[in-house]
Amino acid sequence: MTPLLNDLRYRLRALFRRDTMDREMDAEFRFHLDKEVEKHVRAGVPPDEARRLARASFGTFEGTRDETRDARGLMWLEQMVHDVRYSLRGLAARPMFTGGVVLTLALGIGANATMFGIMDRMLFRAPPFLRDHGTVHRLYNHYMLNGESRIERNLAFPVYLDFLRTSEATEAVAAFQTRELPVGEGEDTREMSVTVASASYFSLFDARPALGRFFDASDDSVPAGQDVVVLGHGYWQSRFGGRTDVIGQRLRVGRTPATIIGVAPEGFVGLSDQGVPAVYLPITAFAFSMRGPAYPRGYGWSWLELAVRRKPDVSIAALEADLTASYIASFRRAAAIAPNVGTLETVRPRVTVGPVQLARGPQAGRDSRVVTWIAGVAFIVLLIACANVANLQLSRAISRQREVAVRLALGVSRGRLVRQLLTESLCLAILGGTTGLLVARWGSVGLRSFFFNAEESLSVVTDVRTLVFAGVATTLVALLTGLVPALQAGSGDLAAALKSGAREGNYRRSRTRTALLVLQATLSVALLVGAGLFVRSLRNVRDFRMGYDTERLLFATVNFRGVRLSDEEQSGLASRLLSAAREVPGVEKLTLAASVPFWSNEGRGLWVPGVDSVQTRGRFILQAGSTDYFATTGTRILRGRAFGESDPEGGAHVIVVSEGMAQAIWPGEDALGKCVRISEPTAPCATVIGVAEEVRIRLLVDDREHAYYVPAWQLGEPIYPQVLVRISGDRAAVAEALRRRLQRELPGASYATVVPMNSLTDPQQRSWRFGATMFVAFGALALVLAAIGLYSLIAYDVAQRTRELGVRMALGASVPDVMGLVVRGGLRLVTVGLVLGAGLALWGSKWMEDLMFRQSPRDPMVFGMVTILLFAVALIATAGPAYRAARVDPNVALRSD
Amino acid sequence: MSRLDLPQGTLDLLILKALSLQPMHGWAISERLHQVSRATLQVPQGSLYPALHRLERRGLIRAEWGASDNNRRAKYYQLTRAGQKQLEAEASAWQQLTTAVDLVLKQS
Repeated sequence: MTPLLNDLRYRLRALFRRDTMDREMDAEFRFHLDKEVEKHVRAGVPPDEARRLARASFGTFEGTRDETRDARGLMWLEQMVHDVRYSLRGLAARPMFTGGVVLTLALGIGANATMFGIMDRMLFRAPPFLRDHGTVHRLYNHYMLNGESRIERNLAFPVYLDFLRTSEATEAVAAFQTRELPVGEGEDTREMSVTVASASYFSLFDARPALGRFFDASDDSVPAGQDVVVLGHGYWQSRFGGRTDVIGQRLRVGRTPATIIGVAPEGFVGLSDQGVPAVYLPITAFAFSMRGPAYPRGYGWSWLELAVRRKPDVSIAALEADLTASYIASFRRAAAIAPNVGTLETVRPRVTVGPVQLARGPQAGRDSRVVTWIAGVAFIVLLIACANVANLQLSRAISRQREVAVRLALGVSRGRLVRQLLTESLCLAILGGTTGLLVARWGSVGLRSFFFNAEESLSVVTDVRTLVFAGVATTLVALLTGLVPALQAGSGDLAAALKSGAREGNYRRSRTRTALLVLQATLSVALLVGAGLFVRSLRNVRDFRMGYDTERLLFATVNFRGVRLSDEEQSGLASRLLSAAREVPGVEKLTLAASVPFWSNEGRGLWVPGVDSVQTRGRFILQAGSTDYFATTGTRILRGRAFGESDPEGGAHVIVVSEGMAQAIWPGEDALGKCVRISEPTAPCATVIGVAEEVRIRLLVDDREHAYYVPAWQLGEPIYPQVLVRISGDRAAVAEALRRRLQRELPGASYATVVPMNSLTDPQQRSWRFGATMFVAFGALALVLAAIGLYSLIAYDVAQRTRELGVRMALGASVPDVMGLVVRGGLRLVTVGLVLGAGLALWGSKWMEDLMFRQSPRDPMVFGMVTILLFAVALIATAGPAYRAARVDPNVALRSD
Repeated sequence: MSRLDLPQGTLDLLILKALSLQPMHGWAISERLHQVSRATLQVPQGSLYPALHRLERRGLIRAEWGASDNNRRAKYYQLTRAGQKQLEAEASAWQQLTTAVDLVLKQS
């Protein structure tokens, strides 16, 4: 047997058969003593004296026992059990201290576990079941438009086919798109998240269907495919109760009824970043139902996202080169069919690849950056919490100085003492970490609704990665909070500590404690500045004039579900819907809308006499509306007039342009009266009759995005029936009444959707709302922790200086003098923290800048408020101790030790 | 003659040497060391047992319960093969060391 194995076997026996080994050891010792006594007796010593001699030569029984146990190599374990017991007893004896520390750490660790869970889901974790995710990449296509570089991840179906045919660096190419489609029949119809995917999509995963099968190449064949559908696990459970006889049943998805052939396994979401898909459809079947047999050559319909699996021996650079070559070949084919797509030189198409997680790719939104910031903030809060706990431990350590010195003098080794203190910190950290997981559980329930689909399960307590993270955080906390006090206790001059009492004037403020407090103040200031900036950003976003009312507008639209209408029928339906809507109580005004903010937008080519390349001067969005358009939306006319009944269908064409558009096209000139040709260079002149305020349609922040308005009846083409409605009264009630009324006008399986305008605009404010909420919450937490830290430090100082204060008062210091002395001590620390924290915030401001909304990250107002707040809190925190200091009775203080 | 304290680490060597003759229990080992050294070496009995247990853990000796001369159960230790090798190595190292120290001492 190797020595190592023997050692292990021995130690294990020692661990699990401890009692047996102890019994054997005692028997062995007794045997030894008996033999020794026997020897002495045989030599003629009286039995009593013999026993004494034997005892004396053996040494103390207990000592030998301990040493022998130590030789077993398990002493540390036994000591640890002892330390843990000792720590827990000590902690239980001081419930206030323990409760405060555990709560502090729980909030710190919980906040971090929550943010880790969200970041992990957003940035780190590969989608469930994805096989070998390092070789799977999302495709991004780049091109130039009007001299601007654009990046997208929308490609046409024939481009996908071209990649399949010509790419040599890929093992698999999968096309997919997740969109909202009506699922179900009649009253049961709901808009659900549907993933339309190529058969190859499933080959990227190691997922086995929970039931039936996924669709394969024969189902996904060009052009028509098969009308089959695979159910998502959640939808199968909620809609079909998990019944196994769903296979073969019919389910209407989008326009066509399809046969259910399988159920995806639990947790499967594909590559979707838009929630959990209810069902999966073959691309070909869906595209055929939407566009008919011509779609496989339709290069103009860019709607698919692509993901590829790279061959193992191909580098990413080689993959991008290969895909770009395919993309260029595909572009040539497209140009041969439709010459208006531009030339290779002007468009410069190319492909890059990114990780499967959207938030890590080039199109990562503001969300993931805000989440990363908040995760950093959570970490800072944890640091502050640790500083607080370390501080509390230190003050205990200082007041236990003599006890510690006595123990050291009695022969307890410093290492043993340090271990004991660390054990106590570890116990506290573990209690805090466990409670923190509960905090994280609540926290993530609240926060995930900010970012993820509510159906998605994100259980903190059962998630291994979050648990590991929480474990690491807990260990870190134990080290951070335990090491400083432990080392401080483990060092220092023993003799001095033993000799000195309080009388000796052993008062000195611990430098470590002061440094910790300044650190806390610094970090708190930085967080509070961040909180202030985000709050002001959020206020700016909320107060931001979108260019239309969001509170009193409803948006109504129709989903035709395969019902095909001629142009005349569509126009007829639109006017029927308008008059039906007018009957609904609470509806004040309404208008058709070609573009709807954050929902859909239209664009047309524009030609202006005397102005070259209008398109390069901005992104111009077409809005076409009814006579009441401006009165309904609340968009203000700045100059000139709105269009209305005075502009008949056959009369002179009119146009209203936004202020920014007027400046972009006619800088320094009056736009009124100018001529704009829409759609064709030869179209009749539309005369600018008014200039309207700017509106936000596609993006919240985009200086190049402008809108123009034409009467719907002059557009010369039918408008898709989208209606904006101005209402009074209860929004939800009017919306429901409106939906019911409109539904009655609709043909076949088509159905109406009515949503409040702000449900479209609110998500735009999400990142600021989240940032403001979290920064304020964490900032407040940091401030409270720092205040507690300050209070305990000052209170401790006052207690230590009782004698000194007594002397001062005996020598004639007044109450305000003494109080001022105490308060000034606190404020000095806070001032240092304030200066450092403000510096830190200024230094960090350059990274905060583009997360702000019309808000300077160096706003003096915010810095001023934080300063006032901090001093106010510092005053409150020091007031108590100062009051106590002022009540020091010199008589008592001078006599006490 | 005064009694000598054992230099650090030599107790293990002496125990191994004692056990190389025959298996023995703890008391017998201490007696033997006492006698063979002509009562010069003072083996602290208190440190004998930790050393025995440490050697057992390292696999250099093996312990078994057996009947002693007057039929009481006693724990007998015996050398393992690893212990035999260790004894040889340590004994020769000790010899070299003492020879070298002797040389130095005699020179002056």
